[in-house]
Amino acid sequence: MAIDKQKAILFGAAAAVRLFLFTAFPSLPNLLTGRVEISTPVTSFKRLQEGLFLYTHNVSPYDGGVFHQAPLLLPLFSLLPNPSTYPFATNLLYTIVDLLGASALMQIAETGQSVSSRLFTSPRKDLRWSNIAIGASFLFSPFTIATCIARPTSALANFFVLSSIAKATQGASITSILALAFASYLSFHPILLFPPLLLMLYDAHVTSSKASPNPIGFSLAHVGGLATALGMLLYLSAILTGSWEFLAATYGVRLLLPDLTPNVGLWWYFFTEMFDSFREFFLGVFWLHILSYVGGLTFRLRQQPLFVVTSLLGIFAIFQPYPSIADSSLYLALVPLYRHIFPLMRYSFLASSTLLYASFLGPAFYYLWIYAGSGNANFFYAITLVWSLGLSVVVGDSLYAVLRDEWEVERPEMQGKEVRRI
Amino acid sequence: MLSSLLAVSLCLLTSFVRAGSDYHERLLLRPLPQNALLASFNFRSNESSSSFERQNFRYFPRSLGQILQHANTKELHLRFSLGRWDAESWGARPWDGAREGGTGVELWAWVDAESEANAFARWLTLTNALSGLFCASLNFIDSTKTIRPVMTFKPEGNHPNMSSPNLHLLHGTLPHEVVCTENLTPFLKLLPCKGKAGISSLLDGHKLFDASWQTMSIDVRPVCNNDGSDCVIEMEQTVDMVLDLDRSKRPRDNPIPRPLPIEDIECDTSKSYNSQDSCFPLVKTSEPSWSLSEIFGRPIKGACPITGEEGENAETVCLNVPAERNVDIKTNGGYTEVPRGEGLLRCYKLPSRDDFDISLPEQTLPTPLLLPQPPLTAARSINGHGQERGSVQAVITNPSDYPVSLIYLESLPWFMKPYLHTLRASIPGAPASTNPIKETYYRPAVDRHRGTHLELLLEIPAHSSLILTYDFEKAILRYTEYPPDANRGFDVAPAVIRLLPSDGNPNAPPVFLRTTSLLLPLPTPDFSMPYNVIILTSTVMALGFGNIFNLLVRRFVAVDEIEGWQPGGLTGALRTRLDKLKARWFGKGEKDE
Repeated sequence: MAIDKQKAILFGAAAAVRLFLFTAFPSLPNLLTGRVEISTPVTSFKRLQEGLFLYTHNVSPYDGGVFHQAPLLLPLFSLLPNPSTYPFATNLLYTIVDLLGASALMQIAETGQSVSSRLFTSPRKDLRWSNIAIGASFLFSPFTIATCIARPTSALANFFVLSSIAKATQGASITSILALAFASYLSFHPILLFPPLLLMLYDAHVTSSKASPNPIGFSLAHVGGLATALGMLLYLSAILTGSWEFLAATYGVRLLLPDLTPNVGLWWYFFTEMFDSFREFFLGVFWLHILSYVGGLTFRLRQQPLFVVTSLLGIFAIFQPYPSIADSSLYLALVPLYRHIFPLMRYSFLASSTLLYASFLGPAFYYLWIYAGSGNANFFYAITLVWSLGLSVVVGDSLYAVLRDEWEVERPEMQGKEVRRI
Repeated sequence: MLSSLLAVSLCLLTSFVRAGSDYHERLLLRPLPQNALLASFNFRSNESSSSFERQNFRYFPRSLGQILQHANTKELHLRFSLGRWDAESWGARPWDGAREGGTGVELWAWVDAESEANAFARWLTLTNALSGLFCASLNFIDSTKTIRPVMTFKPEGNHPNMSSPNLHLLHGTLPHEVVCTENLTPFLKLLPCKGKAGISSLLDGHKLFDASWQTMSIDVRPVCNNDGSDCVIEMEQTVDMVLDLDRSKRPRDNPIPRPLPIEDIECDTSKSYNSQDSCFPLVKTSEPSWSLSEIFGRPIKGACPITGEEGENAETVCLNVPAERNVDIKTNGGYTEVPRGEGLLRCYKLPSRDDFDISLPEQTLPTPLLLPQPPLTAARSINGHGQERGSVQAVITNPSDYPVSLIYLESLPWFMKPYLHTLRASIPGAPASTNPIKETYYRPAVDRHRGTHLELLLEIPAHSSLILTYDFEKAILRYTEYPPDANRGFDVAPAVIRLLPSDGNPNAPPVFLRTTSLLLPLPTPDFSMPYNVIILTSTVMALGFGNIFNLLVRRFVAVDEIEGWQPGGLTGALRTRLDKLKARWFGKGEKDE
């Protein structure tokens, strides 16, 4: 009962902060919606409004170059009243999505999967933060709050990813696969989380039913389930929009990058300065690069699939075509689950100061380039490089710490000693 | 006998042919307030449809005719424009804006084709051929600059099957194009007299492109009489210009404007600071003096021989001045002056070979010339600052006593992304419930393929202004898509406004209005950086990937366990190689011994 009361207080405080910001500063949502760090061409709320306007006026929203978001969002948001006149419903929707995401995160923390999975138990498993602390770190993170106020659709994708992970830790296959299908339908790259989630589901099945199902049959069943769910969603979208042209406008944009609006990622400036004859080659290289992490991490960290998911989310936050701080807020929400390995991390100060540095200077340099005209694009580009480096230091350092923690199970005398990697 | 019969038949033939294919030219001169002069040149050539199809070209230029036939174009309108029409000072536009184009080059044509793809292919043929004919970069009109207007343009000619779906209207515009002498020369070559006689002899690139506002237009359309027989293809070429008299009178070898010495300036003596060395120039209320040879640099070199001999067709120069104005004609040959237009118009029939010059001395008139008032004024600008987003604001004013309906056409480039849900039309003073936008036609832009096409049917009540605003976002382009002067910005085509005829007069000639073009600065990347960006981004990716790869592939060992193990890496490999080499040499030496 005490925990439930704490949870209620936490959720109430988080909802209060968000609703207060929404109502006390009525121009703040539009200001944050316009920031490139939070809104990208594929998640922006203003573009969703434009797509909704065209949809309600019988013009195909995918016939143009402005709206690149999933079709099923259109009937969902057309149910809500017009945000410029009655914004409360939209604000409430995003607040609830945040709270549900936090609830899923707390479910993940409760299962304790981060410290002890089916095949591995960390020697430091008593060093944990409470579920409430983890939920609070997600709900009160400035990145999360800014994402909620700016209302991009990546907030919805984050919620689906978190609930998919939560259900996978609990072994609820159908819900997990369905949530993953929704997340991939909205954002495309969460489908790469399927292998580690499959491992988590398998582990959960084995622990709960005490019988080990046939791995191949298990995988095929889940692949079939995911394919069916995704197929249903795409088929519904095709019926809604009347044709399959939405595929080129939504997933094609993420694959081929026609829109080069600046964001916190590495892709936009690279493909701005690229000559046309090399575009397709480098697009292929960049996507192959992202794909290459899935297999390697899943194999090596088979015993801790939750950490694979966490690292992959960090890698997506850095190397996705249109990243934003919503993706980094999702990654940084899952990192506190691994409090037990924090003492093993070597560069935590460097990483956190780099992230702070980039967070403060990024908007300043963007202003210098776009508004003041006294800086040029290189300033903002440099900040995106620093931000990506900071996040990759966090990802790499946490991976080192987890691997070392794993190694110290077999060599407990090595705790605190210097090691080399060969 | 035979030769005289031949001569008679030839005469009959020429007179018959002349009655079927007319040529008509007219120059209208109208002094405007504040030292300006409107000179409107109009040339019209007819060719009967049968001769046009048999490629018997007489007054209609063969070069243009064959291009139209090759591209299956039934009606063509081409405009080259520069400058801005000052409606407050100069009144209504000449021809009610029907012969005016937006800044740069504007082209619209009705193309006969079975399908849209076919029509577009013929349109590309047309633009490329016209680009060669007029030395203008019309070949840059591609799919990103072409739209198919729905409501704005109506064909001016009589087409046999108007409503057939085979007649496609395509409209392309190049606002960045600079119009200059290389476009005037082919224009003059299309005329029968080729700029050597008649009013076209006044057209000179130096004076025309020095004007405050100028438009050159070519309109080709089929004209039939009421029952559909006896069709002619009519080509109308128009050059309108508003010359600044002081600037035009400057001699060619001394074009730098210099202030007059203070003794020559008339000072406003009512000012408090008026003294020997400070002077507020008095606005001259008298009409300035000017003559054709002063402002055009040359007099008219006689009449073009193929203009008619009598009637209104023969009067090729008309002067629109009040009746009290003194006009001196300087010519050696015989001319005729005919008053028309209730004393406000004086038309002249030019002498056939001698130079003809009109000179007006300085004179103070009791009543200035009353200029026709424009039925509508429009202004469009970009609001907002920064290179991320902005908004367009158009202010359309209806000064008349009755409400007007108009069509507003915008053709925006693809990198200017408007948000139609932010489109607001408001009439200050009107009740908020009325929506001035009656109909909207919108075709969104597709990146790098198609621009935005927006057409609105608006209604403005009497004596009101309409303020139309919408937000847009600017795109950042690829490295190679920026022009060499990237920081100047990109030009956005002017908005075209067509005033719909009021209910009382549905067949009235169309009234058009165009706003100025917009300059859109876009955010630019650093153009010196392609290699640096590639290596820096690749470095960051390699750092991340390499770190994670090393972590995944390598295994941990304690530091002290490494001593007993062969070191890997470069030093280890070198050491092993050196040891092997030593063993081979020294071992070999021993073996030899």
